Amino acid sequence: MSGNDINRRDFLKFMGLGGVGAATLSGCDMPTTVTLEEGKEKVVSYLAPEEYVIPGIGVWYASTCQQCPSSCGIHGRVREGRVLKVEGNPESSVNGGGLCQMAHAGLQSHYNPDRLRKPLIRKGGTLTEVSWKEAWAVVEEKLAASDSAKTGWMTGTVSGHQAVLLDALQEANGSNKHYVYEAINNSVGESVNKAMLGEATPRYRFDKAQSILSFGADFLGTWVSPVHFSKEYAEFRTGDRGVLMVVEPKMTLTGANADFWVPAKPGTEGVLALGIANVLLTKHQADAKLLPASVRKLISEYNVAKVTEVTGVGGDSVVKITNHLKNHAPSIVMSGASAHEHENGYFNATAAMVLNILLGNVGKTIESSGAMPDVKLASKTGSSSAAMRLAADADKGALETLFITGANPVFTVPSYVGLVDKLAKVPFKVSLTSFMDETAALSDVILPLLSSYEDWGTTAAAYQPTEKVIGIQQPLMQPLYAETKGFGDVLLDLLKIQGAEQYGAYTDYYSYLQNALYSLPASVKQGLSDADFWHDSLKKGLIKVGDAKGSLSVKTIDLTAPSFEDNADFPMVLAPSARQGLWDGRLANIPWLQEAPDQITKIFWDSWAELHPSTAKKFGVKEGDVIQVESDQGSIEAQVYIYKGVHPDVVAVPMGQGHENYGRYATNLGVNPLKILSPGTDKVTGEIAAHATRVRISKTGKSSDLARLGGSETQVGRKLVSTVSADVFRRTEGGGNVA
Amino acid sequence: MFASIYLTSRQHPRGRSFMGRGFAVLFAMVFSMVSLLGAANVHAEVPNAIPPIGTHNGEDVPQPIEFPHDIHADVNEINCMYCHTYARRSKVAGIPPTSKCMGCHSVVATDKPRIQKLTEYWENKQSPDWNKVHDVPDFVHFTHEKHLKRFVFENEGMDVDNVSEVCAFCHGDVKKMTVANKTKPLTMGFCVRCHEANDGPSDCWKCHK
Repeated sequence: MSGNDINRRDFLKFMGLGGVGAATLSGCDMPTTVTLEEGKEKVVSYLAPEEYVIPGIGVWYASTCQQCPSSCGIHGRVREGRVLKVEGNPESSVNGGGLCQMAHAGLQSHYNPDRLRKPLIRKGGTLTEVSWKEAWAVVEEKLAASDSAKTGWMTGTVSGHQAVLLDALQEANGSNKHYVYEAINNSVGESVNKAMLGEATPRYRFDKAQSILSFGADFLGTWVSPVHFSKEYAEFRTGDRGVLMVVEPKMTLTGANADFWVPAKPGTEGVLALGIANVLLTKHQADAKLLPASVRKLISEYNVAKVTEVTGVGGDSVVKITNHLKNHAPSIVMSGASAHEHENGYFNATAAMVLNILLGNVGKTIESSGAMPDVKLASKTGSSSAAMRLAADADKGALETLFITGANPVFTVPSYVGLVDKLAKVPFKVSLTSFMDETAALSDVILPLLSSYEDWGTTAAAYQPTEKVIGIQQPLMQPLYAETKGFGDVLLDLLKIQGAEQYGAYTDYYSYLQNALYSLPASVKQGLSDADFWHDSLKKGLIKVGDAKGSLSVKTIDLTAPSFEDNADFPMVLAPSARQGLWDGRLANIPWLQEAPDQITKIFWDSWAELHPSTAKKFGVKEGDVIQVESDQGSIEAQVYIYKGVHPDVVAVPMGQGHENYGRYATNLGVNPLKILSPGTDKVTGEIAAHATRVRISKTGKSSDLARLGGSETQVGRKLVSTVSADVFRRTEGGGNVA
Repeated sequence: MFASIYLTSRQHPRGRSFMGRGFAVLFAMVFSMVSLLGAANVHAEVPNAIPPIGTHNGEDVPQPIEFPHDIHADVNEINCMYCHTYARRSKVAGIPPTSKCMGCHSVVATDKPRIQKLTEYWENKQSPDWNKVHDVPDFVHFTHEKHLKRFVFENEGMDVDNVSEVCAFCHGDVKKMTVANKTKPLTMGFCVRCHEANDGPSDCWKCHK
């Protein structure tokens, strides 16, 4: 800049402060409400601070996220004793420094004004606040009077030392009734993996793959370990750009990223997979000897014409998918909720795995993960069949006492199960939770838990991408409320009631955990003294426990042809899609996540019903119209969102909303599609067939604008986001591998 | 960093009494800090600085303990940063931890009612709830550290003993007050005029980030 130049900034400075400064700045001398306040706020000093504490400067502590079951490592910034921000722990192999929006919003769970501050017990029919001591006395009294063998536990995914204590407690009780329930799960996939490969959760190596075919596995949103897969996916797309193909009834976050998105008729995903197998065997000389004769015979029945008839997917698409898989080897084929949650869900998942076998992916892009070195610490992953088992046990009087934590089955289990009435037959129910929810509201005692940022624990992620680690959950701050307790502490207290003597020595869960870590094998402690190992573990937020990797081999393949029926009364299928954000509804009480628009529809604070444009035209509805979605179990109403990313015979309503009793932010927002699910479970695993409900839709005559961020689907020619056609991209940047 | 330089300058009588009682730690901490101020002028100039202009007639803010700034900072010449120790390291100056008060007052002036009240807090493991006198809105990012850097530690010719003159830019002559009282407006105009006069940054986002 030459001496004479006045740049824009200098000019503004001059305008603001020089010539006309006196006039311009006079407004800045108006005292604000805050500068007028003197002595209105308190400022409290430390009594005796730790040496490293400097007010105003944050200290980072490592811990483990508990917002969903993936167990990502986190760092929490703590200032003046308050946790203010979480970030991903780069040392964690689960998330490698990344975090999703749900983890970032964990702060609003912790500081949520609806958190329970005191225990509640049922007095004369209504829940009344009491002291912890009084509530605990009730628990002790009831447990003493009941048959401990009839004590049940319903939990969400549980692992680490909490799982060890829970097992010990149930052993002391003489009961095996532990129901691990997750509405969003990969249970069918785990069963198929276990039966066919010998491991429930093998590793998927996106980084080694050149193509991915996903039957409804939303691995970027809600499938198994989304943050990890997002990182792997980025690698998959860099350099030699891999090809992603997705088959699903409603476009998920993963589907929206696909090169080729195919809506198959809901439930027929397995047939499409066998059709692809057919083309592989007939056109690509895939090794037929890999499959038993019965399976080969079944595959030969599903020629392209038959597959098109059953699935509605055109023959050219079937051939195109097959060509991609063959030309971009190695590949990975995976399946998720929208393929699993049908009466033939197991068949669908098996057919997808058959493709992996035919394509030679097993051992190449699908690797052995092996068991946790200490299997007691391994993750107990959830299923929806667990809720069905609970309902049956409660109904037949097999439960006298039920503890519920980390799950809200009254909200997520379909109405037809009649869970509320069946739970009423359990004489004594205790909820361990931080929030009042639909399930806790039916309990006899509610014990408020510490938040995940206040509690101690260890977690072993179900999906371990590389070397096996145990995540350390250490408190990021002191408890906000005195009358709350940690989950591990409650388990210890219950063990003490049961007279399990070896636990009597521990004053709290902290001391138990410390001792448990001290007694890990020397190989894990890497030569460190007990105290050094403890501090090292807390500092890193994780413990590397080594790898017991085996090798995968194909064990059995069993396929039975499914049959599909049309239903003239209910011509459409309901897709209760999982939302990366609200999850199964447990995060609906976090305003940040309500405020964050859905990734596809950009709608917030509400529910909606996605319809294909042709379907909307057929029924004469336009965007914003309220429609009724009716199954044989009931009906819900939601506003229509018209979108091409949904099968014409499908109406997609996301789950997570429709809470009746879940605090000020979640209650009375939207509708819960799970409530109108029709009876039906997977024939093999007993998982709830949540994606199979037949519905019909009708107009209600009501209509209003959608609560939605951004009013337009197009850029109106403004080129806000630059795009390039696939052809040009292939020639210039794509590495030439997109066929 | 500055504590070691002035050990031979005028010693405070109370410093000796600490020694007489054998409080070696207190000697290192307090005595050296107290004495290093010995040579300070009452109203020294701050070099390379044009103090901000503006006054404010603040209301009296009652405090749980009527802390006498004048006895500490003026009569006993304790450096402001001895108690407000975070000012040079952080955005906030910090109210001294109660443990710091007790460092001296477990032996000094224990017969005074205010100290007895303080001791009561300490024994109950409590800090007094002080009432905040100086505050800026949450949308203003103000940092003590940067201001002390500019006017004290990276200011050539500035004697750190005179830091109270820099503090006085925005806090007024606290040395002469008992409990602090707001005597400067702390409005945006007050800040911006000083930034302009002293070549401080003028980008909006420097303070509003």
